[in-house]
Amino acid sequence: MLAGCSARQHHTPAQVSVVRAPGYDQTLYQTVRRMLDEHRLAIKGKRVVLKPNLVEFDSFTTINTHPLLVHAAFEAFRALGAADVRIAEGPGHRRITLDLAEEAGYFATFRSFDNAFTDLNLDEVTPVDILRPKSKLRSLYLPITVRDCDLLVSMPKMKTHHWAGATLSMKNLFGVVPGGVYGWPKNILHWAGIHESIADLYSLFPRTFAIVDGIIGMEGNGPIQGAPKHAGVLIAGGDLAAVDATCCRIMGIDPAKVTYLQLAAGGRVSPVDIQQIGESLHSVRADFALLPSFAPLRLSS
Amino acid sequence: MDLSILAAGQNPDGGWSYRSGGSATEPTALALLAFAAGGEGRSRVFLRGAEWLRGTQRPDGGWAPRPNVDRSTWVTSLALLVPIDTLGSRREAAVQWLVRASGRETSWVQRLRTSLTQGRAKFGGGAGFAWFPDTSAWVTPTCFGILALRKAARLYPLREIPARCSSACEFLLAHACRDGGWNYGSGDPLGYESASYPETTGQVLLALHGTPPEQLSRALERASKDVRQCRSLEATSWLKLGLVAHGLKLPLCRQPKGNGSIPETSLAIVADAAAGGRNVFLE
Repeated sequence: MLAGCSARQHHTPAQVSVVRAPGYDQTLYQTVRRMLDEHRLAIKGKRVVLKPNLVEFDSFTTINTHPLLVHAAFEAFRALGAADVRIAEGPGHRRITLDLAEEAGYFATFRSFDNAFTDLNLDEVTPVDILRPKSKLRSLYLPITVRDCDLLVSMPKMKTHHWAGATLSMKNLFGVVPGGVYGWPKNILHWAGIHESIADLYSLFPRTFAIVDGIIGMEGNGPIQGAPKHAGVLIAGGDLAAVDATCCRIMGIDPAKVTYLQLAAGGRVSPVDIQQIGESLHSVRADFALLPSFAPLRLSS
Repeated sequence: MDLSILAAGQNPDGGWSYRSGGSATEPTALALLAFAAGGEGRSRVFLRGAEWLRGTQRPDGGWAPRPNVDRSTWVTSLALLVPIDTLGSRREAAVQWLVRASGRETSWVQRLRTSLTQGRAKFGGGAGFAWFPDTSAWVTPTCFGILALRKAARLYPLREIPARCSSACEFLLAHACRDGGWNYGSGDPLGYESASYPETTGQVLLALHGTPPEQLSRALERASKDVRQCRSLEATSWLKLGLVAHGLKLPLCRQPKGNGSIPETSLAIVADAAAGGRNVFLE
């Protein structure tokens, strides 16, 4: 039985799906449903929170998780019998979240989006201790919407990041830290150590799933000022570190050199620790351009 | 927008939530400002809200974002902006808290560390206010810090206030974006141009009320353009407040549809009152 996001369960080995998805179209609904079926998630009667990445809106680039993908996941979890499916995000730069969501196309895609959405920045909060911190943090106030859910689904955009190297399903957890307590941006995480904070947040949400929007990601100076990069894939799995490691390999980044991954999961993200389903990594590899300072992260062929 | 919407949204404990749920400091303070702007600063609704605010002040003089958060933060500035006689005898404690607050990067230890690790000294640029203690200063909390201290100075002319406000204004001017406006506080991250936001541009113009207009000409021009095409009700309210604070006539613009949150509704009422000649942020 799923006992809430705070109950730790183990996934051995970590199963990660790699599925081709050429574009944002109606085929996504079937694709996402098939991915969830493959992972045999017990969703019936559960409370599910979908956490996309909403940062800024720029019509000339691809910063945010595409709303059609989020809607496909929303419908899939409802079809699987979830008691409640909410979309929730706490953007780190702009305070007016619903305006950002509207600009990013969420209101046009969802019927009554604001009824299904929770602004995590302004949600009621509860204090949570970090039991074995990697960062300087010892506790965080976290939104009750994510603490009380049965499954937190991280839905990031596949992007490079100018400080972390890559921003994927684990870095996406920055968005659950409430700006209403810590501000815009959530600077407490930067002062505590970005990589270390990512690892600590990962430890606070063991009941998770990830669906990564790698159809069109971002390369170069991500996560905002990079260039669109078509990778044509969706990546999904129940272990966020395994999902991120797989994404890195597709992006041409060596996960063994990504600090937050090593802090959070150590050696558990090598290929032998991950059961890959679907496309081979070799067939979908699409090297993302990296900032010169991140050249050492390049994965050899 | 009218006050009956806010009155209907008041919680049984006298405070207001952002939309629903428990009361929080920011929406309560903004709702009280709206009642003051609407001439109902003595109504029963207002008095109940004021009682909630007084009752949630922390021992160190500041306010937390919510009663169950154990730190005083930037919302202390918002609480200090409510009408002067609302907070009673503990107002001065809040002023003292705010005067002492600043961004972590402005400490001498941090500036020395920056100059040693990055090979450059950065001792200028003013001292802003942070969202949360021991973190960096950013635009929005700095705006509210300036507004709150200037209001406080009318009642408590503390020696430190003018210099603190001056330094905070310097911070704002140093953190403008290249397009003339302001965003959250990062105009030039990693050497690349970063665009401004209408809401923060409006907040800065409001906070820099009294700054010579020639120092703000690009920002005022930007705000005048943004207010005509802004699709956000909350951002439009901030732009109006900022333009009116510098004596500019508001251009004709349609009122965007709102999302119904308490802060947005409150700000719309406050902005309309400011356009009509009463700016409660500057009283």
